[in-house]
Amino acid sequence: MRVSDALKWLLGLWMVVVILAAFFYVRPAEGFIGESSRIVFFHVPMAWIAVLAFLVSCIWSVMYLRRNDPKDDIRASVSAGLGLLFAVLATTTGSVFARIMWNAYWNWDPRQTSITILLLIYAAYLALRGAIDDPERRASLSAVYAILAFVTVPFLVFVVPRIYFSLHPDTILNTRGENEFDSRYTQVLMAALIGFTGLYVWLYTLGCRIQGIRQRRQQEVL
Amino acid sequence: MGIAIVNLMIWAGLFAYIYRLDRKTSRMED
Repeated sequence: MRVSDALKWLLGLWMVVVILAAFFYVRPAEGFIGESSRIVFFHVPMAWIAVLAFLVSCIWSVMYLRRNDPKDDIRASVSAGLGLLFAVLATTTGSVFARIMWNAYWNWDPRQTSITILLLIYAAYLALRGAIDDPERRASLSAVYAILAFVTVPFLVFVVPRIYFSLHPDTILNTRGENEFDSRYTQVLMAALIGFTGLYVWLYTLGCRIQGIRQRRQQEVL
Repeated sequence: MGIAIVNLMIWAGLFAYIYRLDRKTSRMED
């Protein structure tokens, strides 16, 4: 068995342990209805991966503008697509939590509003890519767009939800810089963050390989 | 208990799908 195969199986097992730990190792937190607090082990890593993926997309877009290498464009677009996917998943899990805690899937809380704007921004990125046929023009325009889009991410994810009153529970590190999670929650959350990051890396490399094959075949046809 | 099993099933399905896609991609690269 190759090292990469072993790592994939390790990730599979790791996530099984994370899921079991999320449901059997920690108790439901005080102040939350029923089992709803357990969603943190899935919702937070998904939101983290979305931000990470948008950052990676921005970095590869900068690299494309510097080097003009089509591979950098592929890397940027694959990462932006994954970021959008994980942002949708984070929004969905957040809505499930909102339904349990606040009795409505959607109530235009600042976090829900800002994530909607972010989803629209990155959906427009994919629409832009789909609308341009010329590969070089598409790559350079979408690289500029991805960089501009990422400028909004810190504001929409970290700043806006803190300016307005939000029903959203405090994030792990609050303004006092203290970790308010109990130790078991922290352990499982860290394990989930590692697992989801591993999943992102796997999906990202796989996406780049698939796009590479697609590009080579298109060149062969031409 | 039920939701833990549902989560495990979703993960197993997702893992199997990605793993198969990975293998298929490797074959196409060769």
